[in-house]
Amino acid sequence: MARIMIPTPLRQFADKHDTVEMPGATVGEVLTGLTARFPDLKKHLYNDEGKLRSFVNVYLNDEDIRYMKKDATPVNDPDTLSIVPSIAGGRRV
Amino acid sequence: MIRIERGPWREMVNHAQAIYPNECCGAMIGTIDGDHKTVSHAIALDNVSAGSQAARYELRPKDLLRAEREARERKLDLIGIYHSHPDCGAYFSETDLKNSCPWYSFVVLSVEKGRFDHANSWLPNAEQTHAEKEELIWPES
Repeated sequence: MARIMIPTPLRQFADKHDTVEMPGATVGEVLTGLTARFPDLKKHLYNDEGKLRSFVNVYLNDEDIRYMKKDATPVNDPDTLSIVPSIAGGRRV
Repeated sequence: MIRIERGPWREMVNHAQAIYPNECCGAMIGTIDGDHKTVSHAIALDNVSAGSQAARYELRPKDLLRAEREARERKLDLIGIYHSHPDCGAYFSETDLKNSCPWYSFVVLSVEKGRFDHANSWLPNAEQTHAEKEELIWPES
């Protein structure tokens, strides 16, 4: 079981929950469960090819899952998953 | 519409002017009521761009996670991101667009010769192909 922290702008697609408890042995299973329960969330997190959008990072507690085992990263109660965007920019075109 | 209260606005402008001629960046937290957003706190964050920080900014995702947690602790919401454009307008550049996220308001502060000049807020789409201008209200606007 993991706690998933839902960013404010996405709560409207998750029945206004700010946190969702979801079972699953891995990050992938937990996220699959999340988007199965709240299908409207899927297009905000995943692109048409079913991959996480380029700006979406997933943190397990304080660690980016890309530097762990990605979707296969094991999840233990009471781990927390956070959805955090990558943001950059600048005046240079 | 996004309205920035006096306290956070002063912090954002001071941050942008202090970091000049480089670009500053930070998070804005506050409340959301329908389409009306009110920024009550600004959190200055590090620009971690490895390139020229006079023309680029990059947020550390972990810092954004910290800002999100701070918002939750205050029973507030993470509303948006701000950054500065030294010596050019507060437009949403191609670089801004290609590295944006559609979940937040993006406030750009133009700083000319070290002094704040003007600002705009932008709402990028999920495909990172277009950003719509959002009405922005700050204390002296």
